[in-house]
Amino acid sequence: MIDQSLHPALLPLLWFHARQLFWMDVWPVTVGFFTIFCYQIYSRIGVMTGRSKILVFALSFGASALSLFGWATMVRSMRMIPLYACGVGLANLLASQIYAVTLPKHSRWRIRYPRVIWRSDVESIKRIQERLSQA
Amino acid sequence: MRLAAMLMAVALSAQVRVPRPAPELVIAGPAAHEVRLSSLRGRVVLLAFVLTTCGHCQEASKGFEHLRDQFGSRGFEVVEAAINDNADSATYTRQLNLRFPVGVTQRANALRFLGIRGDQRIGLPQVVLIDRTGMVRAQSAPEGSPMLQSEDVLRGLIERLLSQGRR
Repeated sequence: MIDQSLHPALLPLLWFHARQLFWMDVWPVTVGFFTIFCYQIYSRIGVMTGRSKILVFALSFGASALSLFGWATMVRSMRMIPLYACGVGLANLLASQIYAVTLPKHSRWRIRYPRVIWRSDVESIKRIQERLSQA
Repeated sequence: MRLAAMLMAVALSAQVRVPRPAPELVIAGPAAHEVRLSSLRGRVVLLAFVLTTCGHCQEASKGFEHLRDQFGSRGFEVVEAAINDNADSATYTRQLNLRFPVGVTQRANALRFLGIRGDQRIGLPQVVLIDRTGMVRAQSAPEGSPMLQSEDVLRGLIERLLSQGRR
C-alpha cells in the first residue's frame, strides 16, 4: 500500500509489473511447454533408426538441462500449478499434431537440423512412408 | 487469476491504512544498543521486519543497503528488525555486509506496529516507508508486497519523500 499522494513514478512501476508478469505468469507456461515439447522431440529422434548415439545423448542432455533450469528458476507456489499445466497441455497438443521429426542435412551449412513433419503435410508423410516401405 | 489474486490482496490489506502516524518502536540491537524509531524523526526511514533465516529478506536487505548508499547523505536511513526467535542480528549484519542497524523485536510488537491482527499470517519482509514527519507513507500488505522489495520502485518513492521534506 502506497500513499497515493506520493504519485509513484510510472516507469519503475511498469517495469516491476512487466517483470512480475513474466516470472509469475509467462515463465511457468514456458517451462511446462518446453519441458514436454523438448522431451517429445528428442524421444522421437531417439527412436528413429540410424541416428548417431552422440546426437541422441546431446539432445536429451540439452532438453533435460533446460527443463531443470526452468524448474530451478520457477517461483514455486500454488498459483504456478495451472500455469505450468497449461504449458504442458499446449505442448502435448502441439506434439500430437507432429507426424515425425527428421534430421535432414542443410544444403549450405552441411549440418543436420531437426525438421518437423506435421500431420497436415500429406506430401512429406507420403514420402516418408514410401522410403520406409522400400527399406 | 491475476485479477483474483489482486482482489484477494486488496481484501486482505484493507485493514492497514496509509498515511498514518508511525507508532513508537524500540528495536534492541546487539551489545545492549537500541534504536528508538522516534529518534530518527526528520529523516526518511525505511523500516523492515525480517526473518534472519529467510532468503527473500536477505535479498531485500542487500537492496536496502544499495539504497542507503545512494540516499544516506540526503537524510535517508534504513532500520531492520528481526522477528524470529533467537535471531542473531549481528551475524546477519556481518554476513550480508550491512552498514545500517539491524536489531530484534518481538513478533507481537511488529504486528502492533504494522496494524495487523495477531492471528493473521504475514509475508516477510514487511517494508514500511516513513517520511520526515513520522508518517507511514507506504507499507507492505500483510501477505507481503514484492513491489516494496523492488529497488527501482523504492528508489522512486524515496526520491519523492526526500524532495517533499525539503519543501
